[in-house]
Amino acid sequence: MKILSIINKSIKENIRHLWLLILTIFLTPFFVGLYWAISEAEKPNYEVLLVNQDAGVEYQSKKYNYGSLIIEEIKKIDKDSLQFPMTIKVTKNRTDAIEKLKDNKADALVVIPDDFSERFHNLLTSNEEESITIGFVGDLTSIKYMVTAIWAAETFSEIIYTATDKKNPVKITETSLGISGKMDDFDLYVPGLLILSIIMLLLPASISIINEVENKTIIRLKLSKITALEFLTGISVVQLIIGIISIALALLVAVGLGFEYAGSLFNVFIIAILSSVSIIAISLILAAFTKTATEVLIVGNFPFFLLMFFTGVAIPINPKELFSIAGYPITLQGLMSPTHSVSAMKKIMIMNMGFIDILSEITALLVLTTIYFAIGVWLFWRRHMKV
Amino acid sequence: MKPIIQLENVTKKFNTLTAVDNISLDFQKGEILGLLGPNGAGKTTLISMICGLLDTTSGEIFFKHNKNEKATRAEIGVCPQENIYWPKLTCKEQLIFMGEMYGMSLKKAKERSQKILDLLGLAEKSNIQAKKISGGMKRRLSICLALIHDPEILILDEPEAGLDPQSRILVRNFIKSLTNDKTIILTTHNMDEADRMSDRVAIINKGKLLMTDTPDNLKRSIGEGDLLEIIVDKDVSERRADLLESLSKKVDEINIKGYSIIIMSKNIVEKISGITEIIKRNGFIVKKMTLRENTLEDVFMHLTGNKLMTD
Repeated sequence: MKILSIINKSIKENIRHLWLLILTIFLTPFFVGLYWAISEAEKPNYEVLLVNQDAGVEYQSKKYNYGSLIIEEIKKIDKDSLQFPMTIKVTKNRTDAIEKLKDNKADALVVIPDDFSERFHNLLTSNEEESITIGFVGDLTSIKYMVTAIWAAETFSEIIYTATDKKNPVKITETSLGISGKMDDFDLYVPGLLILSIIMLLLPASISIINEVENKTIIRLKLSKITALEFLTGISVVQLIIGIISIALALLVAVGLGFEYAGSLFNVFIIAILSSVSIIAISLILAAFTKTATEVLIVGNFPFFLLMFFTGVAIPINPKELFSIAGYPITLQGLMSPTHSVSAMKKIMIMNMGFIDILSEITALLVLTTIYFAIGVWLFWRRHMKV
Repeated sequence: MKPIIQLENVTKKFNTLTAVDNISLDFQKGEILGLLGPNGAGKTTLISMICGLLDTTSGEIFFKHNKNEKATRAEIGVCPQENIYWPKLTCKEQLIFMGEMYGMSLKKAKERSQKILDLLGLAEKSNIQAKKISGGMKRRLSICLALIHDPEILILDEPEAGLDPQSRILVRNFIKSLTNDKTIILTTHNMDEADRMSDRVAIINKGKLLMTDTPDNLKRSIGEGDLLEIIVDKDVSERRADLLESLSKKVDEINIKGYSIIIMSKNIVEKISGITEIIKRNGFIVKKMTLRENTLEDVFMHLTGNKLMTD
């Protein structure tokens, strides 16, 4: 019977914490719906770039460029017949195409080599079985590259096979962007883990702020006429130091265990610092909506889940571009700073890109952090420090 | 003398509840003014408005004749009803921290911390985390935190709450010693604390200011003489009228409620036998009789009809 009394008491307590109860019950269904909206309603679009470097071949005084012909054939493919949306674009310049790949504006580059016509002609006119080598370029760690590359390889093979009746007419050579070709599973996970360790700052940072409210020491601070900005900046600096130490240690351990990375460590730390500040700024918003450490832990699940699963940190995402600023895509997920952190870390540590290449991400992080911080300070002041 | 704080028709409403109702009150430099009232009377709300933690719904608060002067408000030190401290900081660390929050230099904050820790008997605990000291010591630490910036006005909300008798004497003597240069406002529901400590007492009930005067004048205001409290064996309500009629011929003031008959009169010792005779004649047996001087509790009861401690 004592158990019944405990159940009765516990039900009453839960009902009287109604909004926490609602949040707990509806958190998972909400995220299931949200994930469906992102993953199902917005099918990913795959984009392949074609660069034709084919020099052509002369036969019976006529010049043939089979590279151009095969591109024309590919362009004729009925997009509706494909099970996934594939965009095919022809690019004249290999360098420009690689820049697009680096900026995530395309998923794979297919380079038709300068001897393509010559080899194709050989297949057509002789009994030779030597395959034609076609170059593929991309981020070999990307699922979208894999899908695009497989489709492109199959398409080239089929067209050439239909024309020449030769089996296995295509041989693929892959060139990786940055060090993506050399990376193992561990190397792939570490950049995401670094951002994850930054996201983990969310709850302790909020708790360190809300402790002052829960212990009521905020009253003493209010009496001393300290401003919300001064108070929150002070706490944020300490949390930032903790975050940086955590990231440095995580990186040290990863390198010690054989993690291979490209790019500059300085750039990695720039992104880590900005990301930490932005997460701390989000923690100010969380602290504004809570009054106790327990509430932080319950309510904090909501932003924590969002930041972890909808920014590309834990699961790759294919955000839909809403619009772009100076060529940088603005997406719904881009409203969450870790989206840009992941993008920047990938550019630095996998693509071996430099400071200039991550300026867009740095700008996005700075803008978002400023907005989060301003909102956080204002909300905290209104909720906990306003007279 | 110009008041250091002046309240003019101050009212605070929380939705439909009027916590402080149109209070006007002056606080003089160097005095200890006790705000006496039961729990929920509006004392804490009133001091929260004085120190700037709450806004008034209507009315004005003047500091040295300046209206809502925030710089002056920083000259107020507050010891809230609850012990508020940083549990993981040592006593000294938190005093230095708060000193710096009030704009003191590190050197000055250190010196001041040591001084007030000595004065309040906490010197030996200065390097111990606040969570590890006793409840009475935490109360004294809370008073230290209110005093760290040497404020001109000190507000103490139930300063003796949770103190053992020894600490109570220490704190009382300490507060008394501060009156040379500070104005002290203390809220309490303890009549003894208010009586012993205050130069003037303001009695508050249900958000209203009932009376303000020195403790002696307040006690005198309800009648001169001693007070006799008689507890009888049964409820006297039914024979209230008869008792009042008979007793009023012998004494100045009578208050009858439940099992209690409270009588106030000069030379009451000489009248005791006559009073007990009347009570017996009306069918009651005297169970207990207490003779004492009248107190602020009696003043409160006279003003509100209720006991201070049980309201």
